[in-house]
Amino acid sequence: MKNTTLIKGSAAIALGAALLLGGGGTLANWNASATQTPGTIVAGDLNVVNGVGAWKDPSGTTIDISTYRVVPGDKLTFRQDLNVTLVGDNMAAEIATTGITATNGFTPANVTVSDVELTVGEDPVPATLTPTGATQAVTATITFEFKTATSGRADVNATYNFNNVGFTLTQVAKPLS
Amino acid sequence: MRIPRMLRAGALIAAAVVLGLLAVQGTYALWNAGTATAPGTVSAASFDVSLKASPSGQATNMSLPGGTSATINLGQITSLAPGTPVYASLVVGNNSDAGGTFSTSITAGQATVTNVGLGVLAQYVTVSAKFGSAVAECYSTAGYAPLTAAGLTSAAVPKATSTVLCFQVSLSSSTSMLLKGQAVNISLTLTARQLCGVPSGCA
Repeated sequence: MKNTTLIKGSAAIALGAALLLGGGGTLANWNASATQTPGTIVAGDLNVVNGVGAWKDPSGTTIDISTYRVVPGDKLTFRQDLNVTLVGDNMAAEIATTGITATNGFTPANVTVSDVELTVGEDPVPATLTPTGATQAVTATITFEFKTATSGRADVNATYNFNNVGFTLTQVAKPLS
Repeated sequence: MRIPRMLRAGALIAAAVVLGLLAVQGTYALWNAGTATAPGTVSAASFDVSLKASPSGQATNMSLPGGTSATINLGQITSLAPGTPVYASLVVGNNSDAGGTFSTSITAGQATVTNVGLGVLAQYVTVSAKFGSAVAECYSTAGYAPLTAAGLTSAAVPKATSTVLCFQVSLSSSTSMLLKGQAVNISLTLTARQLCGVPSGCA
């Protein structure tokens, strides 16, 4: 009789389990999901490249410095356009020149060479450049004057080689607005 | 003991910072970019003034290599007598290779007349000059004026052009026949000077 009781119990459990399955029930709890697209991070840009560079004589006429010969009284002007690209929400930069390291064959007292002057339009370049949405034109200007006080035949056929004049554009902390 | 311990602690911290930076290859640099331009070489012009004498036919540059002044002999092919002057000419050319406007003026200084040997002819000799545009003009008596201490200065001689400096040497009508055959040397200084011809004025 003991075995009969065991069999009956097992059958009852099996029946109960079958009823549960038959009723389509599930043992899972609630859950849900979602996705997010953080987007693409895009870097800005910082660059400076040369634009047009040209020499002009005192009348404003463009000259070829490789063939032009200066005489006392001449004052020549060299203008080099620099195209500055600045992109970035927090971009700011400074532009500077390395200056002139020339090879001077003239008597120093007979010539005057200006420092490199950086301007935006007609104004001095600001301390900090910030993006404007377009390429910014900075102009570097140098003047060379052969003084009228030069006497005799001093410095006939002399040469003044400017070598390279460098410019650096350096990112800086964006100024507080 | 306190100080060494603090130093050791500081050194350890510094080492840790350095190692940390090295480990992550960190840098404090921000972006930068550079460019360079080569403005080129400014060259000075030459200041060459050519001289061609007549009747001698000699020619030279006013300045010799090294910058010394040249001497040129004009020569003489006819005899000088009262009422019969002799003439000579000098074509002066502005041969500068200046890039811009470059004009010169030519100035003939007062002539120095010196006797040759024991002669006394010099006091009867007058040197006159004028500027012209052609050598042929030198043989016309018109326009001559005695050279004085002020000298005689030409009009502007632009580059690549020339002017003609004419000389007339005459003998006073009061010159004694006894001076016949005597000779003099005549010398003068010629100066070329740059004019301020830069288009917008000299700087």
